[in-house]
Amino acid sequence: MQLLRLWLLQLRYAATRELMFRANFFVWVAVELAWFVIQLAFLGVIYHHVEEVAGWRRNEMIVLVTTNQLVIQIFTAFLMPGLTKLPELVRTGKLDFVLVKPAPPAFLISTSHLEIGPLANGGIAVAMLVAAVGGLGLHPSWGEMAWYLALVFAGLLVHYAVLMTLVSLSFWIIQAESVLLGYYTLFQVARIPREAASGWFRVVFTFAIPLLLVANVPAATLIRGRQPGPTTLFLLSGLLAAVFSTAFFLFGLRRYQSASS
Amino acid sequence: MSAVLRALPAVFSLGLQQQLAYRWNYFLRSVFSALPLLVSWVFWGAVFRERATVGNYTLAGILTYYAVLLVVEAVCQPSDDDFQISREIREGMLNPILLRPLPYGLYRAALFAAGRSAYLLAALIPVSLSLFLVSRAMDLNLARLSLGYGAPALLGAALLQFSLTLCLSLCSFWLLDVSALIFLVYALEFLAGGHVFPLDLLPPPLFAVVRLLPFAYEYWFPAAALCGNLSEGAWKAGLCLQYGWAFFFLVLAHFLWKAGLRRFTAAGG
Repeated sequence: MQLLRLWLLQLRYAATRELMFRANFFVWVAVELAWFVIQLAFLGVIYHHVEEVAGWRRNEMIVLVTTNQLVIQIFTAFLMPGLTKLPELVRTGKLDFVLVKPAPPAFLISTSHLEIGPLANGGIAVAMLVAAVGGLGLHPSWGEMAWYLALVFAGLLVHYAVLMTLVSLSFWIIQAESVLLGYYTLFQVARIPREAASGWFRVVFTFAIPLLLVANVPAATLIRGRQPGPTTLFLLSGLLAAVFSTAFFLFGLRRYQSASS
Repeated sequence: MSAVLRALPAVFSLGLQQQLAYRWNYFLRSVFSALPLLVSWVFWGAVFRERATVGNYTLAGILTYYAVLLVVEAVCQPSDDDFQISREIREGMLNPILLRPLPYGLYRAALFAAGRSAYLLAALIPVSLSLFLVSRAMDLNLARLSLGYGAPALLGAALLQFSLTLCLSLCSFWLLDVSALIFLVYALEFLAGGHVFPLDLLPPPLFAVVRLLPFAYEYWFPAAALCGNLSEGAWKAGLCLQYGWAFFFLVLAHFLWKAGLRRFTAAGG
């Protein structure tokens, strides 16, 4: 409860700071929107030539891509801006100021910043999602929608785990900017239908780094109803990934030697 | 002029040292660079599961395109040059550079070449490894690769990417933060440049329009030329447009630099 209060306080402070630069907000909404349009254009080109990909028709694929976009935008708004500051905090020794505070450092770091722009793009993703669901003739119940949102939250956990693990490398590597590139590259996997993958690729990205489940499980739940097997697997692997990433962060923290490291 | 030419290898060496100073950062970057090819393999594998061709492409053809794209990226895509130039202008770090008897454009070109060389070196192993993995699973169209058509197109793409980067980052003379502008153009380059999919998969009228834009000559044209997908006529016309756009952006960069310098003020440095 105390952490929730602390998070709300951090959010209020971060929102005040963000709203000082309103023009910046609109520009970044346009930038993020452009990247989303790219994904939709890609689908447009593919489905110009084919009827379905791995059993996913056009509108189903839009549900998958918009779900992925929704998870990304929520993550980019609330958790990513703080996490990406970790390499700089380690390099400059400013992590000291976080460590002296009476709260878990991983929590303080990941909730320290907020970006409002991605929330607007999340809204656009939801609008596209609703249109695609309507196009499929689906009428999900309130319970199904709540379940979908719970799975989106589980997707956030996987994003958190992957980025936390990557940025924690900054305890060993002086300049770790490339980890962000790694994060964006890795999450290309989340846009692929799970049925498209096979062999070691499917095993690695389902069990070790569960990226193939992040958007697939919520989207499939919305389209085809609840799927107990994949959902259990998703929740378990997401939880495990989050535990691993926090342990990895704490392991790295033991190497941290303040401003002199 | 000869003094300028003598200075360029030193700047190139400086750029190499800067790039290689953080080896792990560089190594990670190159490792991650190979992943998109694997993702493409999986996705396009599913697209081709029930058909032999999509547009003019077979699965092997499209994967060869994406593999060649990795090489084009390594040779031509600027890494951090845009943000470096922007920082130099914004933070007044231009002062020591302006004092040197070396044109800024040439100075940045030498650093760009150093960055590309270092990155190409670092990307060699992961790219070769992923190429090897994919070629074990299927027969890539590597025998059709045409270095004679590809090399001039690659050089033109590097020149075009460098000149466009220069123009964008020189906007820092007028704008406080150009990162949004840079990312917006990245998005255009990815979509209209053929980074996301080969442009000839677009409906023909759209393809005809996109071929006139500079972005097509940053990725799609050099990749298609290397893959041997272009007729001689299309290759020649493409080269003319590519070098034409590169020349246009170089001239534009020259005027932006001249105009920007008149606004530039910095103390100390």
